[in-house]
Amino acid sequence: MTSTADGQIVVSGLTKHYGRVRAVDDLSFTVQPGRVTGFLGPNGAGKTTTLRMVLNLVTPTSGAATISGQRYADLADPIRHVGAILEASSAHKGRSGRNHLRIQCAAAGLPLTRADEMLELVGLTPAAKRKFRGYSLGMRQRLGIASAMLGNPSALILDEPANGLDPEGIRWMRDLLRHFASEGRTVLVSSHLLGEMEQLADDVVIIASGKLVAQGAVDDVVKGMSTSEQVRVRTPDADKLVAALGPDAKFSKDNGVLMLSGVSAPEVGAAALRAGVELHELVAERRDLEDVFLELTAGKAAIR
Amino acid sequence: MRLIRSELMKIRTTNVWWIFALSILAFNVLMLLIWTFGYTGDRLRSAKMPMEQMLPPASEVPPEEYERMRQEILASRDIDKILIDGATQIYTSGQFFILLFIMLLGAILMTNEFFHQTATTTFLTTPQRTKVILAKFAAIGFFSVIIWAVTTAVSVGGGAAYLASQGYGAQLGEWQVQRPILMNLLAFVLWGILGVGLGVLLRSQIAAVVVGAVAYVIGSQAVQIAAFLVYEYLIKKDWVIQAMVGWPSVASQVMISPDAFMGAGIVAAPKWWVGLLVLIGYGLFFGVIGTLITRKRDIT
Repeated sequence: MTSTADGQIVVSGLTKHYGRVRAVDDLSFTVQPGRVTGFLGPNGAGKTTTLRMVLNLVTPTSGAATISGQRYADLADPIRHVGAILEASSAHKGRSGRNHLRIQCAAAGLPLTRADEMLELVGLTPAAKRKFRGYSLGMRQRLGIASAMLGNPSALILDEPANGLDPEGIRWMRDLLRHFASEGRTVLVSSHLLGEMEQLADDVVIIASGKLVAQGAVDDVVKGMSTSEQVRVRTPDADKLVAALGPDAKFSKDNGVLMLSGVSAPEVGAAALRAGVELHELVAERRDLEDVFLELTAGKAAIR
Repeated sequence: MRLIRSELMKIRTTNVWWIFALSILAFNVLMLLIWTFGYTGDRLRSAKMPMEQMLPPASEVPPEEYERMRQEILASRDIDKILIDGATQIYTSGQFFILLFIMLLGAILMTNEFFHQTATTTFLTTPQRTKVILAKFAAIGFFSVIIWAVTTAVSVGGGAAYLASQGYGAQLGEWQVQRPILMNLLAFVLWGILGVGLGVLLRSQIAAVVVGAVAYVIGSQAVQIAAFLVYEYLIKKDWVIQAMVGWPSVASQVMISPDAFMGAGIVAAPKWWVGLLVLIGYGLFFGVIGTLITRKRDIT
């Protein structure tokens, strides 16, 4: 087990057809331990199907996924290796949160006291004996986290964990996942909340229509775009400035604002000075993950 | 082993099991009262009535008819037979409803996983789905054994006390009485397994409960009507009636007391072990099909 670090998730050639629809199409990527990896894609891109195939809940049409070098089904007591949160409402309504966890402990051969420890960790101890039906959405997510952590796993897989959480809950979740990754564990978290992901993730995997679009560190993915930087200019003499910049600069005009790409802000400033063009505003706009995401996934209809 | 423990915890940690347990006990006690004071009591009372009170005056019926009636009454006054018939029913009191409840509990144990979306958690914890299904079979079997032990204790305790109050022994030494009690245990376990299998085939909780209950309660009547119609109008052969044993609720009836077979008056009832084999066949069929389906199915 030298080639695959503990907790590393490797997806190779994963494909799932539903009838004629290719929900996931020859998808390959790697998720490294010690980092938070955002798994991004528009609704219907195949994120949930991919995660469920990694976890052996959905059978792939072809391809495979491994965690620490083994398929999920081949892991002995998988919840000791991988923790997963797939949906908030996955407990019997008439059962207490504590018993929900104890049942999993029993099945995985963990001591039942582990359930109480995890309830304490996620701050649910006061509601431990309350029935699941009475839990708020935030409490359900916390129970999901507790469930995922029962086996003290080296990898966490979460599907849209921020759904339905209030700002405080989102912050709590973010801190928890960052902490988890800082301990050297793997965190793979799917989301369509891009602002949230930019704050949280170290790496991203972006898919659309079931296919891989981009993969890598957040900064690299953003910088890697050809049009990663734009310069916004306000000037009464736009045409003269564009002429002075030469043919490399691409531009668009909107409401008296000139957007330039393919040139840097200092080059624009220098050109304006040479040409004697008056500038009212000169701003280098760094593009964020959301712009990159929209650009990468543009035209790939979510509904197929 | 720990999976079975986990499944038993699933049963114990919701309100469903004690609602079922109370219903089962209620039917157990109710039927015990009916089989003792009602059925057995009536027969014992009429057996002790003076002969003259039960026969019309000899002058009003032809002598041979009179003699036939007298023989019939004499036969019905066989105390030993009354006691054994009675004990058989008493010691399996409430069987019909208890089997229904056990089957529904088995079905719910399975359909809950989909109804409450706990299948995800269950199969994440144990990706070997066959093991999960086997654990469910074992858990419902274990639960059935406990139900059998409790209801049989109630029936035997109450029944023996009743018989003693009438001045008779408990009849527990008779194989004819022991066999139905033991067969009852087998029936409880097999119906639990049938229920789990039904839950796998019909993932919807409501569908499984409705189909299970209807097939159980109305199914045997429908099968009976169909068999008798075919017998009457199409194929006048004994096997048409005997084939009713192929229906699970008829099979368990035959297994426990062949005398109660609905066609018994017309044709010879199938042997008890035929019922047993049919029921085991259903248990295996549902179990294997259910397991295969669960292994293939995508959990979404």
